[in-house]
Amino acid sequence: MSEVTPIQPEEVAKEPSTGSHLVRRLLHNPVAVVTSATLLIIILGAVFASYLAPYDPNNSDLQAILQGPSSEHYLGTDGAGRDVFSRLLFATRYSLAGALLAMGLAAIIGVTSGLIAGYFGKWFESFSTWVVSLVMALPGIIVLLAARSVIGPSLWYTMAIFGLLLSTGFHRLTHAAVMGVRNELYVDAARVSGVRNRSIISRHILSVVRAPVIIQMTIMLIVAIALQAGLGFLGLMDNSIPTWGGMLGDAFAKLYQDPQGILWPALTIGITAMALALFGNALRDEVERSATPKKAATGTKAAEIVLSDVPTVIHQPADADREDLLRIDGLVVGYDQPDGSLKQVVSGVDISVKKGEIHGLIGESGSGKTQTAFSVLRLLPHGGRIAAGTVHFDGQNLATLSESEMRKVRGARISYIPQEPMSNLDPSFTIGSQLVEPMRKAMGMSKAAAKARALELLDRVGIPDPKRTFKSYPHQVSGGMAQRVLIAGAISCEADLIIADEPTTALDVTVQADILDLLRSLQRELNVGILLVTHNFGVVADICDWVSVMQDGRIVETGPVGALFANPRDEYTKSLFSAILDEEHARGAYVAPAGTAAGGK
Amino acid sequence: MFTRKRAAIVATIAAAAITLAGCSGSDSEETTAPTTGAATSDGAMAAPEGTLTLGTLVPVTTFEAANAAWANESPYMQAVYDTILRADPDGTIVAGLATDWSWDDTNTVLTMTLRDDVVFTDGNPVDADAAAQSILRFQGGTSPQASSLRFVEDATAVDAQTLQITLSAPDPALTTMLTQNAGMVESPAAFDSADIATNPVGSGPYTFNAEESVVGDSYVFDVKADYWKPEDQYYEKIVMKVFSDATAMLNAIQSGQINGAKLADNTTIPQIEGAGWDIVSGELNWAGLLLTDRDGALTPALGDVRVRQAINYALDRDGLLQAAAAGYGTVTEQIFPTFSTSFDESLDATYTYDVEKAKQLMADAGYADGFDLTIPYTPAFGATIFPIVEQQLGEIGITVELDEIAVTDYISGILGQKYSAAFMQLQQDPSDWQIAQFQIVAAAAWNPFNIEDPKVEELAGVLQTGTPEEAEAAGKELNAYLVDQAWNAPLYRNQSTFVTDANTDAQFQVVNAYPYLWTIKPTN
Amino acid sequence: MIRFIITRLLNGVVLLFAVATIAFFLLYWGAGDIARQILGASASQETVDLKAEQLGLNEPVFSRYGEWLSNAIHGDLGASWFTNQPVTEAITSRMGVTLSIVIGTVILTAIVATILGVSAARYGGWRDRTLQVVSILGLAIPGFLIAIFLVRIFAIELGWLNATGYIDFTDSFTGWLKSVTLPIIALSIGAMAAVAQQVRGAVKDAMRQDWVRTLRSRGISENRVVYKHVLRNASGPALAILALQFVGLLGGAVIVEKVFAIPGIGQISVTATTQGDLPIVMGIVVFTAALVVVINLSIDLLLGFVNPKVRLS
Repeated sequence: MSEVTPIQPEEVAKEPSTGSHLVRRLLHNPVAVVTSATLLIIILGAVFASYLAPYDPNNSDLQAILQGPSSEHYLGTDGAGRDVFSRLLFATRYSLAGALLAMGLAAIIGVTSGLIAGYFGKWFESFSTWVVSLVMALPGIIVLLAARSVIGPSLWYTMAIFGLLLSTGFHRLTHAAVMGVRNELYVDAARVSGVRNRSIISRHILSVVRAPVIIQMTIMLIVAIALQAGLGFLGLMDNSIPTWGGMLGDAFAKLYQDPQGILWPALTIGITAMALALFGNALRDEVERSATPKKAATGTKAAEIVLSDVPTVIHQPADADREDLLRIDGLVVGYDQPDGSLKQVVSGVDISVKKGEIHGLIGESGSGKTQTAFSVLRLLPHGGRIAAGTVHFDGQNLATLSESEMRKVRGARISYIPQEPMSNLDPSFTIGSQLVEPMRKAMGMSKAAAKARALELLDRVGIPDPKRTFKSYPHQVSGGMAQRVLIAGAISCEADLIIADEPTTALDVTVQADILDLLRSLQRELNVGILLVTHNFGVVADICDWVSVMQDGRIVETGPVGALFANPRDEYTKSLFSAILDEEHARGAYVAPAGTAAGGK
Repeated sequence: MFTRKRAAIVATIAAAAITLAGCSGSDSEETTAPTTGAATSDGAMAAPEGTLTLGTLVPVTTFEAANAAWANESPYMQAVYDTILRADPDGTIVAGLATDWSWDDTNTVLTMTLRDDVVFTDGNPVDADAAAQSILRFQGGTSPQASSLRFVEDATAVDAQTLQITLSAPDPALTTMLTQNAGMVESPAAFDSADIATNPVGSGPYTFNAEESVVGDSYVFDVKADYWKPEDQYYEKIVMKVFSDATAMLNAIQSGQINGAKLADNTTIPQIEGAGWDIVSGELNWAGLLLTDRDGALTPALGDVRVRQAINYALDRDGLLQAAAAGYGTVTEQIFPTFSTSFDESLDATYTYDVEKAKQLMADAGYADGFDLTIPYTPAFGATIFPIVEQQLGEIGITVELDEIAVTDYISGILGQKYSAAFMQLQQDPSDWQIAQFQIVAAAAWNPFNIEDPKVEELAGVLQTGTPEEAEAAGKELNAYLVDQAWNAPLYRNQSTFVTDANTDAQFQVVNAYPYLWTIKPTN
Repeated sequence: MIRFIITRLLNGVVLLFAVATIAFFLLYWGAGDIARQILGASASQETVDLKAEQLGLNEPVFSRYGEWLSNAIHGDLGASWFTNQPVTEAITSRMGVTLSIVIGTVILTAIVATILGVSAARYGGWRDRTLQVVSILGLAIPGFLIAIFLVRIFAIELGWLNATGYIDFTDSFTGWLKSVTLPIIALSIGAMAAVAQQVRGAVKDAMRQDWVRTLRSRGISENRVVYKHVLRNASGPALAILALQFVGLLGGAVIVEKVFAIPGIGQISVTATTQGDLPIVMGIVVFTAALVVVINLSIDLLLGFVNPKVRLS
């Protein structure tokens, strides 16, 4: 029913902010200050209308009908010879009071029922959900029109009923927020330790919903003002007391005789609603800002790039005879911070990948290995950029290539196998269409040819029923199958280099080996180079030719797998090896939680 | 036949007032020789052509003659039905389906001779039996005017062409009622049909075209062949469009979508005149405060004539007319219409706006400190009138409380003796007798406290049964008495406005909200 | 799938029944002296009593409800007390007018909101700020206020006749277009603000998804990624709020119709409720509720179409 729902329930289950802090911050927010000052003036005008108004708002001077503004009547007179300025002051009083009544009632009923439904659940939850859907089945104004034929035009009754309708908005908001925290640990803990329901609600749950409820209040106030003005405009509101809507309706009826008359009530409604909306917005900004704690600025100052001066342990220089497929020199990757500084995540990395070679890049999460890999594709997350260094691939420096030239490289020359198979397929399109699309774009294949090749590829990567999988949606296949699909996608355009970002991490242990086998055999068959990002020495040992160990944004040790494994020299590498041993023996293969390696921030 | 003569007298005065041309001929000639009516006397008869599109304010409540409404619905009804009698624009009663009619000596038996050449659209003849049945059905129906036939005891067909109506008491208004919905004749064969409310079976000049019509929005009528009075058929087709919104009507007028319209809002008149349209206007209602509790049953103060007079002095009628009706109308202090013989212009200067005098009268009556008065309030009458009345009565110490009630309960509230006074607009009926019956005598609906004043009852009795001369004198005396006693506080008569484009003419119909259909015709 | 539709339809019927029942009892219990209202000041009390009896106003509310319900189940919602027009006819003839405006608004809103929301999410900067300004305006300024100003400018300052009134498109298509343009603009601004914000959020969410990077890594152009893949995934939340807006717009149209003098469902709602024409009021309640049920169902089906997970489960 409520026409405006700018707050989504999901948005709200954030950390509460303490009230006094919020007020202090609001006082430093210029928008909040200006709008609350405006609202204060309007409210003062309404409260002291009796003192400020030069005339009785209902006093008709029949000798002065539809007069323009003058020193006697600041805003002129209306069709019944009443002073517009005085009426406006009193209209503000009644209209605001009506809107506050609706909003207040809505908040009390909605928050209470939302708390009960969300915290206790049971039959009340399903019943209230049903009632909400009942109320939402009708536009509010239709309900009020129908109600009006029974209760008459009283402003207060109408706004009270509208409050009931609006309460569904508060109910949903509170319900969702409470559901979000109902089973949180701290609530559970409180419950287990015998804290009474009432104090759980007041201490833990109310504090969660307070801020979003306050924001919702400003919105509901706007909605109530708009609806009330609309009803008044239709002439369905009590005419014996001045209201904004009634003034609008009166002025609209005289629009041809006095086109200016409509301005004053319209402006007052507009300014009030606008101030409320902007104030609500500022409030939300401050609430959200407090919800995301400020991180300590770890970045260096603007444009200042720090290269690592710790030397890399090099087991054996790269074979100079064999041409580099990919050569990364002095790569620095950083994220621009709001304060202008750069937060560096990769600080001077050198890597070379030869044709037909699998180069493992190993490190813990946060070491910068994934950032390095994404730099090659120039697909760093938002805000990230290559701050220094070169990425040479086939004679071009990818670091300086234009976006359109880069697009020609992606897919066709360098392809990508992601870590988490399920989240890397567009859930809305079939697997087939996602395989066909790049081939048609990058290789200019016809639809039929691309489809034939896609089926071939699916078969090649070991999918039992390619035709069925082709037609399937991502959620209909298993993770292992999805990863095979992504591998098929990576080799579909005959790229020379594949960036594989922890391709087996998210998979079942039993599937991991199969996927590695597949990668190895494809690599041999197609003679492509692979830059394989992993945190698992087992994987490196299995299929890599060369390995670089990364820590804190730099390469600490690099060399052929055999040499490095036989004799790790860097302390960090050594510690990794000992950790593996524990892992393998004590816990089995380590499976990283989904998404940890994606960002690196 | 005195009532016909009385009607003629009324008509002469009205004609002088409204200055209508060519319609005030001698009644006996016209009533007995209908083919030489007003329309043909203007010139040669032209074949019906073109379409007339009219703007109306209300949709048809029902097409069933027995329950039909009149006033703003009259054009719909006149398109499809004939009435037993007809009225000229000035109110003169002329022949309709009946060519001749006469009262017996007791004025309780009306004998009428009907035409023998009229048929219903279902092919049945319009005869005395159909007319008699229609009258009796109307009397027992739910038309707002059903009670206007309350004196009818019986209606019978003496023979095919002779209709006899027997009354329980003389009713000087009966013939007028027979020119309106009470006189509409519907085919008895249709009485029991299921779609009688939407499918009229009458004998009127046009037939209802249900297929092209959109009920509630526009009604289409096609000209009927072989109509008994072809000179009334100017158009091949008439479309009546309902406008519930004054702005929409103004647009339709300015863009030439319609040829004539009854205005909902007089404040659009300047724009309409600007578009080159003609204004046809008159007055139908008086508006003002009904001081219903004259005996002081609820509000003792109102039982004192000085208080009622004070109220009359306290109201600024000119200002109220400006504020509430944008000046469209005429201020008045009497409830009788200008065309009535009882109307006396000098009475309108009885209570000239004078707050000091009002206060003095209040003090004389012992109400120097005022009293409380509750008045029902509904937004239906507009936003301005109530607060102004409240304010002006407040000036003389009367504390008015506006009791806000739903529009559906407004009339019931007043008639149900819930309020001592109320703002209202009441129609000004064509005859003094009807006015007395409607709002003056003890039994009148709009005398809700049924206050019986011997002088009033006596004078009203003369209106019903006296000679024309006696009736005229009684009417004048009654009017002067009511004004002097401040029975009510009339404020003004509203202007009722019909507008026509350059190609269309229309005549204001006295006491009717809409011009009669046959007066709306092409210019020239 | 079929089961899903049937369940939802059954839910809708139950909801409709509940709405109708509650509305009926509230309306008929509180009804004033309708017979007097119909017949006016000049009718005698006897005639008014007769009318009340004919309309069944003296019968107990429960028996009237039973009668109404059994007729309603057979598709007969009765006839207006004031015009005798069958309720279904009275409403359908006006619903078309209102729907043509509301649907026009939804289409315009969907298009503009998508463009605004996508470009704000994609580029940020001044586009995002524009969207924020539009959102505040749309949230704060009631549609009918915008409508009044459009009328003032176009009907009074410029003197364009078509600024008010309604022309049916069966009469003249261009006339129709002219008569609905301003109402649609007036109604769109508020809806646009809400929907564009939602589109922006949904697009931003979708653009953060892993598969967007994978698609880019395959050399798919950015426009294709955004308009084909991201938008398809963002359309779910956008459609959901559009459905909510549809309901809101039905209400907003009531007032905007008055401003533009459009004979739609709004006009009949106002007339019927002020007169106390209860059969019409009931009809409006039932029709609107049914419309909302149908809209919500179709949006759910549409959501299933854009989101294969919903479709197949």
